[in-house]
Amino acid sequence: MTGPGGGRSLADRQAALVAALVAGAPIPDGFDPRLVGTARRALLRKRSGEVARHWPVLAASFGARWPAVFAEWGDGRPTQGSFQDGLALARSLALTGAAAEELAEREKALRPRTRLSRLLRRAR
Amino acid sequence: MTGGGAEGSFGVGIGWRPEIAGFVAALPGLRFTEVIAESVPASGPVPAPLAALREAGTAVVPHGVRLSLGGAEPVDPARVAHLAAAARQLGAPLVSEHIAFVRAGGLEAGHLLPLPRSREAVDAVVANVARTQAELPVPIALEPIAAIFDWPDDELDEAAFLTEILDRTGALLLLDIANVYANARNRGTEPTDLLDRLPLDRVAYVHVAGGAEHDGIYHDTHTDAVPREVLDLVGELCARHRPPALMLERDGDYPAAATLRAELDAIAAASGYPVVT
Repeated sequence: MTGPGGGRSLADRQAALVAALVAGAPIPDGFDPRLVGTARRALLRKRSGEVARHWPVLAASFGARWPAVFAEWGDGRPTQGSFQDGLALARSLALTGAAAEELAEREKALRPRTRLSRLLRRAR
Repeated sequence: MTGGGAEGSFGVGIGWRPEIAGFVAALPGLRFTEVIAESVPASGPVPAPLAALREAGTAVVPHGVRLSLGGAEPVDPARVAHLAAAARQLGAPLVSEHIAFVRAGGLEAGHLLPLPRSREAVDAVVANVARTQAELPVPIALEPIAAIFDWPDDELDEAAFLTEILDRTGALLLLDIANVYANARNRGTEPTDLLDRLPLDRVAYVHVAGGAEHDGIYHDTHTDAVPREVLDLVGELCARHRPPALMLERDGDYPAAATLRAELDAIAAASGYPVVT
């Protein structure tokens, strides 16, 4: 005889649910696939808004298509934080104009830190 | 929430967000606001706009969104310490967090996720709330969330689940009336049935927010207008037991000041509290 959840621990069941929502894992047994799919899309919509706050020019360059563009990229990719998500998406696109400039500026701002971490690595 | 004005109440407030700091600062009757706890620096000076509100006598409540009190794992002590520090920094009368989990198995969900309404989940929440209360200088109010889906094996209904958590922790209730509306609409139940069964005398304050329908489901977005039905539910709540404070929760797509003022006035009208605009 098994208890609720077929004897699996709450921790395992929570992990399986989050993996289904953000990492493309199968929906755990017993959940309504339609509603979990709705939640997955709602999470992507929310993430697209948060990434847009960090990457306003990138988001604006897609106009009303931004949530769909982000969702296509972000579905199945767990968030690494809104800034990093926007950076990874921007790097994957062939950007032009203001969005390309926004990416170039961010890349430039990141560079000193990269140089520093290289120095620190060498010092170890 | 206690420690307010003549009746020990704070009346109508609004969630403070950087994008509407100017609007919030200019509200003549504002006596309380809420700030996302994770955005408050744990040390150093309180951000100037919040310090100015404190100076003017407005209570500021840190509202945590990433503690994951409903996680099966123990809460992260660093996150608890930060919430406690935010409460001290702001001289807050209380703090609040959600009955939800936001991460598991090393992955961030990015949103508040529902718990199974099981004894095991009640035990997990109660243990995490106790760990948090042990470090907090002030009471905590717990907020039930809007759930797009339910777990397949619920043992308790929502009222029994929430009441047991509140009874065992001694925590206050942060009732989000828009979540009550959203859950009832999506589950096809009567929102007033839940109001009739919750311990309304434990409500510290109330969230009022807007939402929109996507994919045939009502989503509690905080980025849309407050629907008439939610304001009507504020009236139903206040007719049963008027909470000491109610606040508008808006988290993006900020409308014109006049629209926000109208929503605050509508909450005042529905609750019978004085307008703050």
